[in-house]
Amino acid sequence: MLRHVTNRILGQGLRLPATPAAVGGSGLPRMYHERVVDHYNHPRNVGSFDKNDEDVGTGLVGAPACGDVMKLQIKVDDETGKIVDACFKTFGCGSAIASSSLATEWVKGKKMEEVLTIKNTEIAKHLSLPPVKLHCSMLAEDAIKAAVKDYEDKHSK
Amino acid sequence: MDHLGTRKQETKSSGLLAVYSEEDSSVLPEEKYHRLANSTIHDLLEKLEEYGDSVEIDGFDVDYGNEVLTLKLGSLGTYVINKQTPNRQIWMSSPVSGPARFDWDQTAQAWIYRRTKGDLVKVLETELEQLCGKSINLSST
Repeated sequence: MLRHVTNRILGQGLRLPATPAAVGGSGLPRMYHERVVDHYNHPRNVGSFDKNDEDVGTGLVGAPACGDVMKLQIKVDDETGKIVDACFKTFGCGSAIASSSLATEWVKGKKMEEVLTIKNTEIAKHLSLPPVKLHCSMLAEDAIKAAVKDYEDKHSK
Repeated sequence: MDHLGTRKQETKSSGLLAVYSEEDSSVLPEEKYHRLANSTIHDLLEKLEEYGDSVEIDGFDVDYGNEVLTLKLGSLGTYVINKQTPNRQIWMSSPVSGPARFDWDQTAQAWIYRRTKGDLVKVLETELEQLCGKSINLSST
């Protein structure tokens, strides 16, 4: 379902075509690192929590007109401050999907203060993102921060 | 979700999801944005080409296509500078400082990255000098 949406959004602006990496003989330059392809084909934690749920923080970043929107949600154990579950839904290129998918993997089991230190550079390095796609990793970092902020805003009232 | 339209839309969580209105006086009108952004990028292109002629960097290449400026510095890395029209921004990807998004600051008459207060032109000057060992003046006369 998610990939149907992303498959329809092709070829706008800078985004590389959303087909998995060209392998060998086609003569095309390598486009996506295998980790990106892996996340694209087997995205982790796709889904949605109820945003009205007390222990859920929702981060929504990006803009459809730009071609990238990420929704990243965390489920927090109020007592320990640990993120017990995370999910995402992303509208965008393969690198954006991989960045947010990776983000949900990295936040699970960590405390909120800890995930705020996750940097876009780490995400980009792990996925070997090319220069033009560094912006996707930044958006994923923003999504994590937005989710944490949302949870904290809910609990400060 | 709405596409770019004439309504301003707010979000609870990040505030980054916004749709700009042409009538909103605080937002750069699209025509003006294109003029400013194009002028900045073309200016950079010219100066970077000249710079390339004066430095000995293996694999130095400046390319401009589809409104995207790509500056290759061989093993030192690659810069990508492009317009992001829906946000009225210039986006840059730097091998030194990573991704950045610059907004036109009317007061400063410059493209500024809000998070760091960095000026696009000055950031490039500093980084290029650092990377290539030779200073460059990218500011307009």
